[in-house]
Amino acid sequence: MLALNMRTLRGTILWIAVAALGAAAFAVLALSRGESINAAWILVAGVASYVIGYRFYSRYLALKVFGLDDRRATPAERLNNGRDFVPTNKWVLYGHHFAAIAGAGPLIGPMLAAQFGYLPGTLWLIAGVVVGGAVQDFVILFASMRRNGKSLGQMAKEEVNSVAGMAAMVAILAIMIILLAVLALVVVNALRASPWGLFIIASTIPIAMLMGLWMRNIRPGRVLEASAIGIVLLLTALVAGRWVAQDPTWSRWFTWSSIGLSWAIIGYGFVAAALPVWLLLSPRGYLSTFLKIGTILTLAVAILLVLPQTRLPALTQFVDGTGPVFSGKVFPFAFITIACGAISGFHALVASGTTPKMVMHESEARMIGYGGMLMESFVGLMAMIAAATLEPAVYFAMNVPAGTLGPTAETAARAIAHWGFTLHPGQMEALARQMGEATLLSRTGGAPSLAVGMASILGKVVHGSGLALWYHFAIMFEALFILTTVDAGTRVGRFMLQELGGHLWEPFGRTSWYPSVLLSSALVVAGWGYFLYQGVVDPLGGINSLWPLFGIANQLLAAVALCVGTTILIKMGKARAAWVTIVPLVWLVAVTLTAGCEKVFAADPRLGFLSHARSVAPDAPNAARLVFNDRLDAVLALVFMAVVLVVIVASAREWWLVLSRRKAPVVNEAPFVETAYAAGD
Amino acid sequence: MRRATDVPGIQGVAVRRRVGARWSAVSRARRALRGVLSAVRQIVGAPDYQRYLEHHAARHPGRAPLSARDFYADFLRWQFGSGGPTRCC
Repeated sequence: MLALNMRTLRGTILWIAVAALGAAAFAVLALSRGESINAAWILVAGVASYVIGYRFYSRYLALKVFGLDDRRATPAERLNNGRDFVPTNKWVLYGHHFAAIAGAGPLIGPMLAAQFGYLPGTLWLIAGVVVGGAVQDFVILFASMRRNGKSLGQMAKEEVNSVAGMAAMVAILAIMIILLAVLALVVVNALRASPWGLFIIASTIPIAMLMGLWMRNIRPGRVLEASAIGIVLLLTALVAGRWVAQDPTWSRWFTWSSIGLSWAIIGYGFVAAALPVWLLLSPRGYLSTFLKIGTILTLAVAILLVLPQTRLPALTQFVDGTGPVFSGKVFPFAFITIACGAISGFHALVASGTTPKMVMHESEARMIGYGGMLMESFVGLMAMIAAATLEPAVYFAMNVPAGTLGPTAETAARAIAHWGFTLHPGQMEALARQMGEATLLSRTGGAPSLAVGMASILGKVVHGSGLALWYHFAIMFEALFILTTVDAGTRVGRFMLQELGGHLWEPFGRTSWYPSVLLSSALVVAGWGYFLYQGVVDPLGGINSLWPLFGIANQLLAAVALCVGTTILIKMGKARAAWVTIVPLVWLVAVTLTAGCEKVFAADPRLGFLSHARSVAPDAPNAARLVFNDRLDAVLALVFMAVVLVVIVASAREWWLVLSRRKAPVVNEAPFVETAYAAGD
Repeated sequence: MRRATDVPGIQGVAVRRRVGARWSAVSRARRALRGVLSAVRQIVGAPDYQRYLEHHAARHPGRAPLSARDFYADFLRWQFGSGGPTRCC
C-alpha cells in the first residue's frame, strides 16, 4: 500500500515536471519577440504536449469514451487469413500505420505557413493534433476496428445514411484530384531547370522496373533484396546527378521547363496507372516507403544534434492577409495551409483501411491511432524548424512567385526590402551555387526551401560539407514519394471513379475490362492534369489557388470523419462525451467555411476567385482561360462546402432522432467474441 | 479451434517455445534477424512467404501451398485488386 502510494506520488511529480517544462517552453515561444530562439524550445513545447495529451486525454478516450476492451477479439484475431487480417505486433503496426499516413503534406504545409512566422503554425500543429487530428484518427480506427475494418464511406452510409455515404465518396474523389494536382505542381516547381534533380527522379523509373523484374522473375517476392538493390542504385544516381548537371550536353537533356515537366508527369501518371502493378507501382511504393522512414529518422536525429537557432520572426506582418506566398489572414488560412500534421481527413481513409484489420488487442488502437498522429505532428514541427532556420529574405525569395518578385535578383531584393527584410547582392546566386542549382529564385511550392533548410541542418552534422548533395537528397526524397502518391493515387482514383460510374453504366465499373480501365485512368489523369497545367501557367504561381483548395478539401473530409465519429458515439449512448469529436468538428467547420467563402467571394482579387476573374483585363493574354479557371475553382470550393453541409445536416438529423428517442440507437458493431489470447500477451 | 498456448509472435504466427531447448548463439542471432526482417516487411506492407507457409501449414494442413512465384502474384492481385494501398499525402 505504501509502495503503491510512493509510486503514485513519483508519477504525480513526474507529470507536474513535464507540464512545467512544456509551459516554460510555451512561455519562451510566446514571449520572445524579435530575437532568435533555439529550436529546442519548439521541440520541448511539442513533445511535452504530446506526452501529456497521450497519457491523459487519449487514456480518457480509450477507457471512458470508446471503452476499449481487451477481452473482445479484434477482427485480426477473428478473421485472421494471413493476409489483410493479421494480428500484428503493436510496434510493427505503429510503423506500418505511420508510413501510410505520413508523406509530403506535413512537410510542405508548415513550410508555406511560415510566411506568418513560425509561431501560428507551431501552435496549431501542437494544439490541433492533441485535440483534433489524433482524436479523429483514433475514433475512426476504433469505429472501423469494431466493424471488421469497414471503410469511411461505408460507415458514413450505414451509420448516418446513404446520402451522407454518397457525399463522402464524392468528397474523397474530389479531394484526391486536387491533392494529386497540387502535389504534382510541387514536383514540377522542384525539378524545373534542375538537371540534377530531374536526372535522379527520371532514373527512379528504370530502377523501379528493375526491382519489379527482380521480384517477379528472378527472386519471386523478395521485396527486401530488391529494395536494397534499388536504394543502392538510387544513391548512385544521386551522386551521378552532379556529373550530369556539370556536363553541358547531358545537362541540356535534363533541363526542362515547367510546362514540359507537367506534360511529362501527366503522361507518367497515365502510363503508371495502366501498366501492370508489379512493374512500376509496387516496387516504387517500397522504395519510397524505405526512403521516407529513413529520411524522417535522419532529419530528427540531425535536428536533435544541431539544435539550430531560428532566424524567421515568430510573427510577421503578413498575419494581416497581405502575404506574398499565399493570400489570406492568419485566421483561417494558417489552419487550412497546415492540414496534414495537425488534422488531416485523409488519415480517416488509412485508419479505416489496412490498419484496423491488423490490430491485435483493442487497447493498442490508442497507441496506433492517437500516437501515430502525434508522430506526424512531430514531422510537421521538424518542417517548421527547417523553415524557421532559413533567413527570412531567403525564405521569401524562394517561396514568392515570379509574378510578385520580378525576374531578377535585383527586382527580388527590391520587393523583399519593401517587406522589411534584406537580401544581400549575390546572396541568392551564392546559395544556388552551394546547392548545385542554376537558380533558387521563386522556386515555389515549399519543396526547394524545405530542401535548403534540411541541407543546412544535415550539412551542419558533417560540418558544412556536401550541401549540394544533401539538397538533392532532400529533393529526391520529396519528389520520389510525391510521385508515388501521384501514380498510386491515380490508380485508387480510377477505382473510385469506376465504382461511382458503374452505377450509371454497368460496364464502366468492371475494373479489369481494358477499355474501361483506359477510359477511367484517362479521366482521372485529365482531372488532376488540368489543375496541374492551370497551376503551372497561373501568373500567381498556382500554389496560391491550389494549396488552399487542397487544404479546404482535406479539412472538410476531416469534418465528414468527425461527423461519422460523433454519430457513432451518440448511438453508443455516449452523447455526454461526444464533445470530444464535436469540439474539433465545430472548429473545422468554422475554419473551412470561412476560408471557402473568402476564397470564393473576397473582394481582394489576390484572395477571391470571383473578384480575380473580374480583375482580368479582357485584352490580357489567355484572358478567357484565366477567367474560366477562376470560376472553376470557385465552383469547386462551393461544391466542397455543399458536400460537407449535406453530411453535417444528415448527421445532425440522425443525432436529433436518436437523442429525442424517435429512433432506436442501433450500433452496427460486429458482435462481441471473447479473445482467445491469454491476458498480458 | 485455437489454443491459448498459440501465442502470436512478432510475425503474427504461433510461436511454440520448447521448454529446455538450448539455442546456440548463431541460431539465436539468426532467429532475431528473421524477426527483424519480418517486422520490416510488415511495416512496408511487403509479402512474407515464410509467414504464409507457416500460416498455411497451421490452418490448411494436407493442402499443397502456393509456390513463391504464385504467392507473390496472388499477393499483388489482392493488394491492388481494389485500387491499391491507401497512402496519405
